[in-house]
Amino acid sequence: MVTTYLTRAYRSFAIHVLDVPSRLLALLLFQPLLFLPMVLPTSASTNYLLSVLVFGSLSAIFAASWDLLVGRCGQMTLGHAIFFGLGSYVTTMAWVYLGWPIWATIPLAVLITTLASLFIGFPALRVKGPYLALISMALPLIATSLIFYFKDVTGGENGLPMPISGRFFPQMNVFDLRTGEYYLTLLLVAVSGIILYKIAISRTGMVFVSILDDELASKACGINVTKYKMMAFAISAAFASLSGAVYAHILTVASPFAMGTTRSFFVVIMTVFGGMGTIAGGIVGAYLIHFIDSYVLRVIVDVPVEWHPFIFIGIVVIFILKWPRGITRFVTDGLEDLAEEREIEERGAHIWKKYKRKKKSTPEG
Amino acid sequence: MHLLEVENLTKRFGGLTAVKNVSFHIDEGEIVGLMGPNGAGKTTLFHVITGFLKADSGTVKLRGENILGLPPHKIVNKGIARTFQVVRPFRHLPTIANVLVALKSPRGSKKIEWIKTPERKALELLGDVGLSEMMMEPAETLPHGDLKRLEIARALGTEPELLLLDEPFAGLNPIETDLLTKSLRTIHLDGHTMLIVEHKLHALMKLAKRVLVLHYGEKIAEGDPEDIAKNKKVIEVYMGKVA
Repeated sequence: MVTTYLTRAYRSFAIHVLDVPSRLLALLLFQPLLFLPMVLPTSASTNYLLSVLVFGSLSAIFAASWDLLVGRCGQMTLGHAIFFGLGSYVTTMAWVYLGWPIWATIPLAVLITTLASLFIGFPALRVKGPYLALISMALPLIATSLIFYFKDVTGGENGLPMPISGRFFPQMNVFDLRTGEYYLTLLLVAVSGIILYKIAISRTGMVFVSILDDELASKACGINVTKYKMMAFAISAAFASLSGAVYAHILTVASPFAMGTTRSFFVVIMTVFGGMGTIAGGIVGAYLIHFIDSYVLRVIVDVPVEWHPFIFIGIVVIFILKWPRGITRFVTDGLEDLAEEREIEERGAHIWKKYKRKKKSTPEG
Repeated sequence: MHLLEVENLTKRFGGLTAVKNVSFHIDEGEIVGLMGPNGAGKTTLFHVITGFLKADSGTVKLRGENILGLPPHKIVNKGIARTFQVVRPFRHLPTIANVLVALKSPRGSKKIEWIKTPERKALELLGDVGLSEMMMEPAETLPHGDLKRLEIARALGTEPELLLLDEPFAGLNPIETDLLTKSLRTIHLDGHTMLIVEHKLHALMKLAKRVLVLHYGEKIAEGDPEDIAKNKKVIEVYMGKVA
């Protein structure tokens, strides 16, 4: 009885304090994805849907990592794709030139990108706000021109291709391969989502939010702001490079377009759509945007690709104006309202009075 | 040895000397008041002592160790905490988490007794300033008086030896002023030394045993609150010269 009470109290603490949806909700959203390949028939269209979801999963990891850095720590970077690209290049180069197996190249890519992020972050995080956004925007462009310059090693514009054996499951046929990749990426989303969520709700995560809210005040609390910013930057880079490395092994090529500006901006669209600052928001937003982009707007209604950016910008503008807190918070807020109403019904009117009084005491504006 | 020793501290902004050759000291267990009309350099003095601004010359010693020129977070971890004149809460975080951030600092986390969790310690600190009922409310929904006390709880989270309060009574109504005075007394009894910047002499008189007066960056008087209230120079500074 006491334990139940404590668990409930803790869960409400997690929702209120950390502003993230509860575990149950996440599980409910995750379940349909888990059984999808078993339910659908084996066909070309299923295969296409699965590949859309595979890239959705990779974007989900990427968006969640961006969300930890921007939505939780307030370090506005618009060039996060550099870590994605770096991860895919390191893993491909290690595979092609050193001949390492996949399970060794991906961790190597994560490790090297994290170290590189520390080198990049140390000077870049000295500047704040729009200046950081500008500087970080330039980073992938610099990396791309370096890739073009060192053509012999990186393959230049065409990218660095791997043979078919660079895939995750080289022996499988096309249908099994997609299913295997689907489950692999889904597992990665679950694991990295849980890790990022745990970091976000930890006391370190609270320090991140304090830097987002007021850097000067967190300095006055004795927090070494630079250290925590670097920490957020490195964690974020690690997960971004993980998704980039897996991406390279699925496409069997590391191309400079992996770190293009489109990727850096789409992650903003995904996270705003899903809800900035909730790690789940990036994940939900990534799946939805990928689904709309590659399935709804191609298979269900055939809209020319050139029009897709307009549609997404429209969605984002509507969301910023109408639901600036994003889809996930829209759902959790609705659930919370429901719970409150039920509590009022169960425990009498006096709670309602107390609740009203509390609402009244909030300052205007 | 004094707890804090400030010697010949000078801070210039271009041609303007905001703090001019100020020297004073604070002993352990004291409550010292710092007064002065608007623009006297009180807040600048605070910023210089806590490392938010760099001084031009002079020394600031905490227990004999020079702390001038250290970055703000290192000074906090040496044992000087401060509050701000305009409240700066972490508005996305709930009240209790505001204090938990301070408990995450090296000094704050080191001083937690082994038997306590940080959450429990934070709750105790909120209780000290009378905010334990509000612990789950987001900081942005708290009224101004509560935010002022939240700032003090947050500063206490770093377990300071010296607490610098920048106008803690500004914008509070009489009831809130009384509440805050009461909590400051409790905090003082717990063994915290304080330096309080304040305009409201009435509130300051109840707390401080010694008052410094700044005018145009210079120290013009120091002594008992009663003596200061009668001091001709101080009256002149506040009210203007009698023609």
